Parts: sequence; C-alpha cells; structure tokens
Amino acid sequence: MMKWVLFVPELFYVSMALVFFLFSLRKKVEQKLLYNTAVILGAVGLVVTVAFARQHGMLFFDAYRVDLFSQVFKVFLALGTFWVIFACSELRGVNPRQHSEFFMLISICTLGMMMLVSSAELLTIYISIELSSYALYLLVPMRRISGDLYVETGIKYFMIGVTASAFMIFGISFIFGVTKSTYVADIARVLPTVISEPAAIIGLILTLCGFFFKQALFPFHSWAPDVYQGAANQVTTYIATASKMAAAAMVIRFVGFSGGESSLLVQLLITLSILSMTFGNLVAIIQKDLKRLLAYSSIAHAGYMLIGILCLSERGFSSAVYYAMAYLVMNFAVFLVIIMVAEDGRNLQIKELAGLHKRSPILALTLMLGLFGLAGIPPTVGFTGKFLVFAAALEKGYLLLVIIGMINATISLYYYLIVIKAAYLLEPVNPYPPVRVDGRSRAMSMVLIVAMVYLGLFPDRFVALTEAAARSLP
Amino acid sequence: MMTSMEMAQFPILTAILMSTIVGMLVILFIPGDRTRLIKQVSLSFAGLGLVLCLWLYYAYDVQKGGLQFVERYLWVESLGIYYFNAVDGINLPMLLLTSIVLFTGVWTMWDLELRVKEFFALTYLLVAGVYGVFMSMDLFWIFVWYDVSLFPMYPLIAIWGGTRKEYGAMKLTLYLLAGSALILPGILYLWAQGGGHTFDLFELQAMGFSPLVQKVAFIMLYLGFGILAAAWPFHTWSPVGHVAAPTAVSMIHAGVLMKLGAYGILRLGMTLCPEGLAYWADLMALLATIGIVYGAFVGLAQTDLKYVIGYSSVSHMGMVGLGLSTMTVNGINGAVFQMFAHGVMTALFFSAVGYIYDRTHTKMIPDLGGLSKTMPVASSFFIVAAFAGIGVPCMASFWAELLVFISAVKTYPVRGIFALLGLVVSALFMLRVVQKTFYGERNERWAHIPDVPLFLATPRIILVGVIIFFGLFPKLMLDVIQSAVVPFVSSL
Repeated sequence: MMKWVLFVPELFYVSMALVFFLFSLRKKVEQKLLYNTAVILGAVGLVVTVAFARQHGMLFFDAYRVDLFSQVFKVFLALGTFWVIFACSELRGVNPRQHSEFFMLISICTLGMMMLVSSAELLTIYISIELSSYALYLLVPMRRISGDLYVETGIKYFMIGVTASAFMIFGISFIFGVTKSTYVADIARVLPTVISEPAAIIGLILTLCGFFFKQALFPFHSWAPDVYQGAANQVTTYIATASKMAAAAMVIRFVGFSGGESSLLVQLLITLSILSMTFGNLVAIIQKDLKRLLAYSSIAHAGYMLIGILCLSERGFSSAVYYAMAYLVMNFAVFLVIIMVAEDGRNLQIKELAGLHKRSPILALTLMLGLFGLAGIPPTVGFTGKFLVFAAALEKGYLLLVIIGMINATISLYYYLIVIKAAYLLEPVNPYPPVRVDGRSRAMSMVLIVAMVYLGLFPDRFVALTEAAARSLP
Repeated sequence: MMTSMEMAQFPILTAILMSTIVGMLVILFIPGDRTRLIKQVSLSFAGLGLVLCLWLYYAYDVQKGGLQFVERYLWVESLGIYYFNAVDGINLPMLLLTSIVLFTGVWTMWDLELRVKEFFALTYLLVAGVYGVFMSMDLFWIFVWYDVSLFPMYPLIAIWGGTRKEYGAMKLTLYLLAGSALILPGILYLWAQGGGHTFDLFELQAMGFSPLVQKVAFIMLYLGFGILAAAWPFHTWSPVGHVAAPTAVSMIHAGVLMKLGAYGILRLGMTLCPEGLAYWADLMALLATIGIVYGAFVGLAQTDLKYVIGYSSVSHMGMVGLGLSTMTVNGINGAVFQMFAHGVMTALFFSAVGYIYDRTHTKMIPDLGGLSKTMPVASSFFIVAAFAGIGVPCMASFWAELLVFISAVKTYPVRGIFALLGLVVSALFMLRVVQKTFYGERNERWAHIPDVPLFLATPRIILVGVIIFFGLFPKLMLDVIQSAVVPFVSSL
C-alpha cells in the first residue's frame, strides 16, 4: 500500500484535472476565481512534486520507475506548468467559454508527461506520450482572436503528430521483435548484444523519431514554426517549456539504455545534432515574428541538447539535464515578456518591441537576459548549460562538433541581438502604450532574472543534483 | 603551496572586482534623472578601484615574485572549477592599467546627457569583466569574465556611438564572439586532455600536454584571442568599432579590452602550450609583422582622426604580438610593457579626440587644422599621445618598443627589420596627422571654441603623467614584469 506514495504527484494532477472538469460543467465561471484556483493548484502541485522528489521505487509490475532522474524532470514539469498557469491571468487569446477546459487540458497534459518520464515499459511510454499529445492537439486550435479560427494549425499539428506516433509504434514493434520484451530493463540487457543488427537499429531510430518529433529536432521540426505561431501565446509557452522537458527526458532515457556504444547510432545523432543546430539558427535569422523565431531557435537548442546526450556518458546526460533546466528558465522568461507585451493575445512582431526599455524596463531586462541566456553568454544559466554540454563532448573527444556548436552559438547571437536591439535601441514609429505590468508579474520577472544569473554563477549544487539524477538512470 | 596566513589576509582582488560590480548595482538603484549623482558615484567607485590597484602595485613584493594575494576556493566540485584570483608580474600592470583607464574614462564622460544611468552601469559591467580576466587563474572564470567584458560593447556602441554605430557594434560583437567560439573549445579541450578534473591554470600547466595537443590548443587559443588583440588579418572590426564607439568606450576598448587578447595568448596559450607556441611562433611573428607594417600604411591614408588611431592600434598591437613570439625575456618584457604603455597612450589619444569631436562635431582631418592656436591644451594632449605612439624617448612606449625590437631583430632578423620600417612609416603618419590637424592655417570655423576647462583636462593630465612617469622610471614597471617573465621564459 505504501507504494502509492510514489505516485502522489501524478494523482495530484489527476485531481487537478477533475477540479477543472467540474468547473467546465458549470454554465458560467468567474474568470478571476478560475485563475486563482489554477494558480493555487499549480503552486500546490509544484510543492507536492518537490516534496516527493526523493522517492524511488517501481510500480505497476515494474512498468513504472520512480527515480531521481524522473523526479527531477517532474519538478521541472511542475515548475513549467505553474509558470504557464501563472502567466494566464488574462488569457485573451483563448475563447472565454473554454477557459475551464484550457486549464483541464493543461493538467492532463502535465499528467501525461509526468507519466512519460517515469515509464519504463514501451507500451506505457506510448500511452503516456499519446495522453499528453492529445491534450496538446486540443489546446492548439483553442485560439480565438477577434473571431479568427486557428483550426488549420491544429490539424497540421495533429496530422504530423499521429504520423510520428505511427513511426514510433512501428519502431517499438521492431524492438520487441528483436529483444522479446517491452520492459526497458530487459531490453537494456539484451540490446547491446544485438545492437549491430539492422532491425535493432531501425527499431531504436524509429522509436526515437517519436521523441525527436516532440523535441522538434531537425528533420522532425516542420510542425514547430507553424504551431508556435498559430497557437495562443500561453499554449506556445507550454509547448516550448514543459513539453520540451518531457521530450528531452525521454531521449536521454532512451539513448541511455541503448547502452553499448553503437558507432552508427552515435554518428547518426551527431549528424542530426549538427543539422538541427545549423538549420534552426540559419532559418531563424530571417524571421520577423518573434514566436516563429523562437520556434527555429528551439530547433537549434534541441541540437545543442543532443550533443550532451550523444556522449553516452554520465557527465553527458547530467549536462543535458542541466541544459534542459536552463532552457526551461530562459525560454519561459522570453515567453513571459511576449505574453505581457501582446496583451490582446496577438502574435508579436520583433519591431513591436521597439522602445520596450522605456515602456517597461523590467520586462526589457528580463527579455535581454533571457535572450543572452539562449545565446549562451555568461554569466547567465544558458552559458553554464552550454559549457557543461561542450565539456562533456570534449571529454569524449568531439572537438569538431564543439567548434561547430560554438560557431552556431555565434550565428544565433546575431538574431538574438536583433531582438535586443529592437527592445533597447529602436524608437517606436507609432508610440505604443506603456505595458501594464502588475505586481505579480513584476515579482515573477525579478525571480526569473535572479534565477538566470544565480544558476549561471553558482551552478555547483545544481550540477551535483543533475549528476545524481544521471547516476540514477538504469 | 600557501600558508594559512596568506589565505587569511584581506581579499583585495575580490575587493577590486567588487568595486565594479557593487558600483554597477548602486548605479542601477539610483533614479535615472539624477545624472549628476550617478556620475559622482561612478567616479568614486572608479577612484576606489584605482586606489586599491595602486596599493596592490605598491604592496606586491618584487623580490619574492610569483603569485601573491592568492584567493582560491573550490567553486564547482564535479568539474574542478576554482574561484582562483592572484597577481604576478604580468597581470599586475594590467590591473593598474585598467583602473587608470576606467578612472580617467569615467571622468571624460562628465558631459554625457543621453541615458546616463545605463551608460555607466554597462561600463562598469564591462570593466568587471576586464578585471576578472586579468586576476583569474582559473580557465573557466577567465572565459566567463572575458565574455562578460565583450557583450556590453554592443549596447555601448549601438546606443551612444557615432559613425555607422549599429554596423560597427554588430561587426565588433560578432567578430569577438566568433573569437570566443574558438577559445571555449580550446579551453575545454585542454581540460579534457588533462583528465577533466581541474580548470586551475597552474595544475594544468604542471600536467604537461603532449605536443600534438599543444599545437591544436595553441592555434585555437591564438586565433580566438588574436581576434581581440586585432592581429592581422582579424583586425577589421577594430578600426570600425573604435570609430563608432563613444569616447570612454573607445578608451576602455582600445586601452584595455584589446590587451585582453594579448594577455589571453600569453596567459593561456603560452603558459599551457609552450611547445605549441614554439611550433606556431613563426606564423605569429609573421602576422604580427604584417600587422605592424599594414597598420602603419593604412593609417597613412586615413582622413578620420579615429581611424588613424584605430590603425595605429593595429600596428602597436602587432608589436605586442611580435614581442611575445620571440619567446625571450626581453621580448616578452617589452610586449607586456607595450600593453601597458599602449593602453595609456590610446586612452589619451581617444580622450583628446573625444574633446575635439564633442566641440567641433567633426573628426575629419581636412576640416580641422590649426587647432593648436584655438585650443592649445587640448591639442597638446593629442600631440603627447602621438609622440608616445612614435616612441620618443622619455615616453613609456619608448622602452617597450626598444625591448621588443632588440629581441625581434635578434630572433627574426628579416621580419624585425620590416617591423622597424613599419615603425618609421607610423612615425611619418603620426607627424602628418599632427601637422595637418594642429598646425598650419588656423581654421576660423573653430575660433570660438573654448579650450579644455581644467576639470575636463585633469583626467588627460593624469594620463600624460603616467606616460611620462613610466618613461622616466621604466625600472618601476620592468622590475615587476621581469619578476614573472624570467621564471616563465626559463620554464619554456
């Protein structure tokens, strides 16, 4: 009976979804009440997840593994969810009649992703990934701006998503065929002996495709720019932060358990990483829409993260975990600014940021630090993340890969600087009104600024934590 | 390695570093419209840094040499990162230079009106990075501070700059960060080859890397830092950036920031990869010589005062590179001394031009002319700087250039002689600029402009004083430098 303690965070998000389900049954819900409930529940969810972070054990006939690695990612997920809910005070981009459903789907999606990071059996993985995906398929077309519908984006996302799922389940069948098991632990034992067989490689790669799709790694990225642009700002934030965490966790787990160093797999991952970084950064240069730009930058960041993962070493995995955390913080900081500046829920063009340093100094500073972090400039957390990832890669001797990564970081700096230039240097053509920043958002910006610098300069404890998490991998 | 008493002393290096970071934070909390208060606070923090650095310079024990004022704490355990600050004969003059240039630079910006608070806050962030690079003995921190010192350049130039400021700012930032795209892999490569458990410079040095590793790492570090040191052919960002930047930023940038590049080559490249240096020294000397000659000839053709100084900087930084590449005591002594002398000299150059430009709104040589009759004091600053640039005796740079050329001609006879020719050309163009700008027909357009008031002249007088002081008493600086260079060269 005690074993249920391991499952408390997930149970919490089930009940959170239920609460919003009950809200959705009512004809009319006070917007403020809904928001306050969501923030409180999100905060409690974060506290619960942190409180149960030190649990470890197995559940459901060993299909569900609770270890430090999964719990750390659950904390990231809960944190991301809390932040996204926090930024939903207005929720202008979403049809007002669907706000309860919006929060319900966010809770379900978080639940699915929490289950995903703990799954240790292929079918459980598949079910969790679908649970979170279907919630997102519904969240994306919820957007309404002055009567416009955004169904097209939703359908596109759905079509590409189910195709990726089909690839994945096909890959899983290959793995099952080769190893005669769906349990990751068994597969990890058998796979190194059969890794040279084409069927095993194909199975592994096809399964990874599913995760790469979620992570928007080149060439599985094509949905990202359209979905980022088409979804409501808050939903994009959720996809860009929390959802990326789950995908990163799964790629780490999956590549990790393939164990034996198949040079074919490593070479494939190196190729994907280089392509993803280069493609994402080059295309981002020409973007005018800030969310689209961030979509391409996210493709590049998936490539950086993959550098840490393909080292197949403990330091590599821990650096990828750290990078994921850094990415969560920086990306949320940038999206918070987008949500605040685009009050009516529209998409934000880069030039609309003009004069932001006067309209709201605190948001401008948050944006600048967030973007410098994404570009990997010290003393922000993004630099420390890149530093750790590259250090792990050089320990394995991938000098050229690191140089390519650094050149990409320089390219990326160009377009981040363009955004910063808009916020700090350009004078607006038509005077934009000052941005309303309430006390809560101001406090949140402060927290993010401090977090970005603190994690950049004092990484010791967090590095130790991510290393412990990487050690707990099977 | 060090006694507990040494560890327990007052952490003066951290105090110097904090004088800039605390200064920045204090400035950030002052309301933006109280510009006068902001300037006063800025100047007092710069003065504090100057006093601390002077005391440090005085308190450094030359007889004992080696690392002093050591502060060393474990920072990130699993990677072996240490918070490790110390001074020796090489970085001590650099710290002094930084504090002098910051103090005088802040002072020369007293007339600034536009976005004052942000300007000084960013300047302090930049200088925090510079101090950090000069005092850190841990590769991780050197890189962190190095990047911290680079990125404030972008807003500083793009907001407060002049000619083609956005182009200049973007070019400079991307060039310099492309340089760090080579430095970081170089640092991490050495770390990984050293077993991946320490970033401590001296622990890594003691490991002794294989020749191949040293060759690979040295060229990465050389190219990466060489961009910042404006080594030919990676110099093109430098004149453009200087021209675009506002006065104090030009001063700090040409005076101090470019030294970071040469310092990085010396501190990281040469210390950790002596065999790599031996292998690449030929290339280094060649590029440096081309830089000296090229900078002088291109400078000859310029009509913009700031471009003239920009190209003369390329030429002078070439001398630093040439001195380093000789791998002799005299050569490296001269190179380090030249870093100091050139830093003070260019700061003086830019502050002199800054005043002229602020009043006349032009820095084109043909538009000026005869300035020494309307503003003799302002002109004299430029002329002193020009003499220092030529290397006239009694100026600090005379000794520096002498040492560099003595050892260069000995080690690389042909290149050394070409470099000397470059020096002659640079003397020619300096004198030509002085003649055209300050002598000749008096231009009535500028007749109404007042000369520098004493208050604004003071920082420039300080710079002139420093140049002449170390020109008359070079031993005060050379003894310090030598205390580090002699053991360094014997370990090569």
